[in-house]
Amino acid sequence: MGVPRFELLEPVTYEEASRLISAHETIPLAGGTAIISMMRQRLFNPSHIVSLHKISGLGGVSPAKSGGLSIGAMATLRSVEIHPAVRSQYPLLSETLSSVANVRVRWSATVGGNLAHGDYRLDPPGALIALGARVRLGSARGERELQLEDFFRGFFETAKEDDEIILGVDLPPTDEEASGHYLKFTSHASADWPCVGVAVYIKENFSGKCESARVVLTAAAQTPLLLEGVDEILSGEAVTEAAAQKVADLTHSQLDSIEDSSGSTWYKREIAPVLVRRALLEAARRKPKARDERRKN
Amino acid sequence: MTRESIEWSVVGHDVLRLDGPAKVRGVQRYLADKVFPGALHLALARSTHPHAKILRVDTRAAGGVPGVAAVFTGENLLAVHGVRPCYGPAFRDQPILAFGKVRYAGEPIAAVAAENREAAEEAAALIEAEYEELPHVQNPFEAAQHGAPLLHDSLEPAGAFADLMALKGHPGTNICTHYKQRQGDAEKALAEADHVLEDTYTCPPVSHAHLEPHGAAAWFEPGGRLIVHTTSQTPYFVRGDLAAIFGIALADVRVVVPPLGGSYGGKIYDKLEPLTCLMAKVTSRPVQLHLSREEVFYTSSRHGAATKIWTGIKDGKITARKVEVFYDAGAYAEVGPRIAQKTGSTAPGPYKFPNVSVDAFCVYTNKTPSGPLRGFGVPQLAIAYETHMNKAATILEKDPVALRREYVLEEGDLYSTGSPVTSIGLRACLDSVSRVVEKTSENRPAPTLGPGLTQEKHIARGRGIALGFKSVISPTISNAIVELNSDGSAIVRSATVEMGQGATTAFAQIAAEELGLDVNKVHVTTPDTDQSPYDTLTAGSRSTYHMGNAVIGAARQIREKLLETASEALEIPSEEFELREGRVFSRSLPERAIAIPEIFLKRFGAPGTTLTGEGTFQGHAVKADPETGQTPRMTEHWFAGASGAEVEVDTETGFVKVTRLVSSADVGRAINPRHCVEQVQGAAAMTLGFALFESMRIEDGRLVNGSFLEYPLTAFEDMPREFITDIVENPLESGPYGARGVGETGTMALKPAIVNAIHDAVDIWLKDMPVTPEKVLRAMREASGAAPGKEASGAAPDGEGPK
Ligand SMILES: Cc1cc2nc3c(=O)[nH]c(=O)nc-3n(C[C@H](O)[C@H](O)[C@H](O)COP(=O)(O)OP(=O)(O)OC[C@H]3O[C@@H](n4cnc5c(N)ncnc54)[C@H](O)[C@@H]3O)c2cc1C
Repeated sequence: MGVPRFELLEPVTYEEASRLISAHETIPLAGGTAIISMMRQRLFNPSHIVSLHKISGLGGVSPAKSGGLSIGAMATLRSVEIHPAVRSQYPLLSETLSSVANVRVRWSATVGGNLAHGDYRLDPPGALIALGARVRLGSARGERELQLEDFFRGFFETAKEDDEIILGVDLPPTDEEASGHYLKFTSHASADWPCVGVAVYIKENFSGKCESARVVLTAAAQTPLLLEGVDEILSGEAVTEAAAQKVADLTHSQLDSIEDSSGSTWYKREIAPVLVRRALLEAARRKPKARDERRKN
Repeated sequence: MTRESIEWSVVGHDVLRLDGPAKVRGVQRYLADKVFPGALHLALARSTHPHAKILRVDTRAAGGVPGVAAVFTGENLLAVHGVRPCYGPAFRDQPILAFGKVRYAGEPIAAVAAENREAAEEAAALIEAEYEELPHVQNPFEAAQHGAPLLHDSLEPAGAFADLMALKGHPGTNICTHYKQRQGDAEKALAEADHVLEDTYTCPPVSHAHLEPHGAAAWFEPGGRLIVHTTSQTPYFVRGDLAAIFGIALADVRVVVPPLGGSYGGKIYDKLEPLTCLMAKVTSRPVQLHLSREEVFYTSSRHGAATKIWTGIKDGKITARKVEVFYDAGAYAEVGPRIAQKTGSTAPGPYKFPNVSVDAFCVYTNKTPSGPLRGFGVPQLAIAYETHMNKAATILEKDPVALRREYVLEEGDLYSTGSPVTSIGLRACLDSVSRVVEKTSENRPAPTLGPGLTQEKHIARGRGIALGFKSVISPTISNAIVELNSDGSAIVRSATVEMGQGATTAFAQIAAEELGLDVNKVHVTTPDTDQSPYDTLTAGSRSTYHMGNAVIGAARQIREKLLETASEALEIPSEEFELREGRVFSRSLPERAIAIPEIFLKRFGAPGTTLTGEGTFQGHAVKADPETGQTPRMTEHWFAGASGAEVEVDTETGFVKVTRLVSSADVGRAINPRHCVEQVQGAAAMTLGFALFESMRIEDGRLVNGSFLEYPLTAFEDMPREFITDIVENPLESGPYGARGVGETGTMALKPAIVNAIHDAVDIWLKDMPVTPEKVLRAMREASGAAPGKEASGAAPDGEGPK
């Protein structure tokens, strides 16, 4: 079926977009990969839709004031994935984005749309949270910012108010000695949504010991889960099999798993620690190579 | 006859597909590319309940949408004079639009015709229905029990096919067919056995997922003729049924079928045609209907099944085999009764067992109607009989391949139906896969590691093989007309539908071989019942054999005429002649030759005319005894195939990677060896998804993954690292050049090969398809005694066995 008729509004500022959204009790349109399929299935039948495409300043990848990287909400997943600065400084993000759907979806889907959707099964939020991303929101009432892990509130529920627009995400500067890995486990076909995904970002000191580490699980619970207590285990330690296992065991008390078509609550709880351990070991293993590559650049 | 000794110039060669260039360039026109001037667009409103009385369908809002020409409901249908409201190939059980009640969520309840598609869809979305919900049943085993919610009060046999004439249904139950086979005394043998193996295997419904959704366009001509363009595998069945539905002569219905963008059984018998034609009638306009991808999931699926199997072992021998299979027909029987009868007859497996008992049921449930899907119900049985062969081998402490060799059917054996087995290359297929699996195991490369694995330690590897067999659909008829033009080009008129299987190329090869032509000079027409002679259907791997024989018959009539004239012209007896490269020449004196154009001149005294030949071929079977299934001839011929799989199981996650797949198929004789390999590989790739992850998931009576966003399909990354196909050529005497079909052979044994390989790797037996990582891990935990907690039972099985 096609998409039902609606009126497309194309504001040029986000404040105006925010006002139109409130006035018509509708939602913004970015890449449309999620919205259009919902509309085709008649799950969502709006009279108006507010396109974000004509608003300037929402796209692209640019250096952030803080020294990190600023990614506009309207940047497509693919454009971020292949951006030279992302590839060289945030390979974890590149790797994660490359695992999303297929290249055609990634050229349409946007970073803002991905986050705003609030779907627990999405891959990118894991890596972004692991990297310490902050999300910027704006509305006719003003702008605000929050840590991405605080943005996801519940099942398809985010901290974004209805009239708020995601303006972009900011990544803190990366560390020379950092490495990461996104392990996407699909229980159906390889091109499917994740059953459980694990994003790991480790910073080490010069002696090869871990300084800090962030481990995030996606698709396992109602929201992305940033494991707590990882630093207590790994700080000052090498990422050995035993240490990785200790981190993995944190999932036993912290993961309140969710059942879906890719796995039951039991199954997700069973494989989560396995995947956490593997992702940590892989991230640690990758480190020297990542460092070499960076030297080359 | 070995291949080397035969001098064929076109047959037996890897001729490139004649439909290849247009498809590769994207210029092939499919139904949706055709323009039907002035045609209204149809959109459908569908039931939201799996089983409910329809109290009221409110079409007022829909009728008010600008551009809407008509809104039509099941109630309106009943008021139309002279239209038979229900259709179906076995029973006339499916309403053109639901009236009285709905029997599955997604069933069409009303149709809108409008000037454009947007208006039609907008209006269809405004149709509101009120229902009184009825209890529904999804599990075919439960549906077969007395007291289950009843879908149909009575059944009217369709009488459309010879093998389905005697159907009666089982009033008061949801069972529409019960097939029985008895040989010896299986109950007694089981009672006396030292060991009895007993298991239930379940397969969920799965989607054909053909890329091209269903479509149809239709109009009545001023004189009353009905013209239909449709995506159908069965132009002649559609013609016959439309004539019956609308009460018009067969000659007044014309069915035209363009090449299909895939089908696999999903576009067989009537699908959109009755409704499209009905709307053409009530609007007096041309109309067209193109389903969305999502609607395909509400149109057809493969039968889910619960297969209960018993194997009796006594004194080191298998003494009994008993099978009870419950095929899930969904809400309407379609051709399920034939699957229960014909495929049910192969339920014991391709073996000689002294005592056999089969009960095959086709059972209504409240879901999308099921239909054949590449294998016609065989894979749902092979999963049972082939895992049981491995289980029996464990008990008998025998090698699974050796055990199969002991019991496998061979030339001249009597099958448990009393039919002699002829030309069945089972042993050759078995030898082929076991050889390849054994050989490759010696120099096995490094493992493909599981997700996130960098070391081998959590990988368990295993190998498994399985056999499968199938009987060709019988009796059926194919007719072909071949016309040779005076310039040495030819036209083959056949109603075989090209749906990607390469049939047209095979027919062109056959005609070219018979008439000594370049294959590119042969044009095979697309089906048009005004132009192409009768063919029963394009399905069940039957076309190369049946239509191929008909094409030979037609071409040989022309050949005779050519030789006759050449003989007169050259004064050489026609037995002396060869027909090759567009000319007739003497075998002993090759310089005595005459080219086709000259023959035409000699024969007709003028160029421009054509020589026509007509061929008919009919397969035969003898109706089985209804109580015992015994028959002297159960089928025209057989298909044999085998699969071998090597798997790596991630023991921490249960993830199964199929690293190597070996398929072998007895093709009789390969008309086009490359096509054969592609068919077997395509079938194996498709079945891999059914084995590992595909399932149409029903929750609360409703399909929950009916879109490609949620329904998982095999991707290239899921393909095995090595994909070996071995074509076995065991010529079939009655086949064209010895050929038999090959489209389904690669699907039959693949699932059990994988399940057997998983058992080899981690010592668990899986019974519920697909074998997802979760099921593997759960079974491993159960086997090690660390059964998962109660809460773990949260996820329902995909298949639908007795609970
Ligand atoms: C075939 C397919 C496969 C997929 N597979 C995967 C997968 O494997 N992994 C994965 O992670 N994802 C997957 N996805 C999901 C995909 O990543 C999301 O659909 C996509 O990121 C949404 O982005 P969009 O720009 O298209 O959003 P849209 O569809 O335009 O919008 C989505 C939602 O976000 C809101 N929105 C959009 N932009 C903003 C903004 N700037 N501010 C506020 N609200 C906004 C919209 O109003 C809407 O509610 C898949 C999608 C498809 C179609």
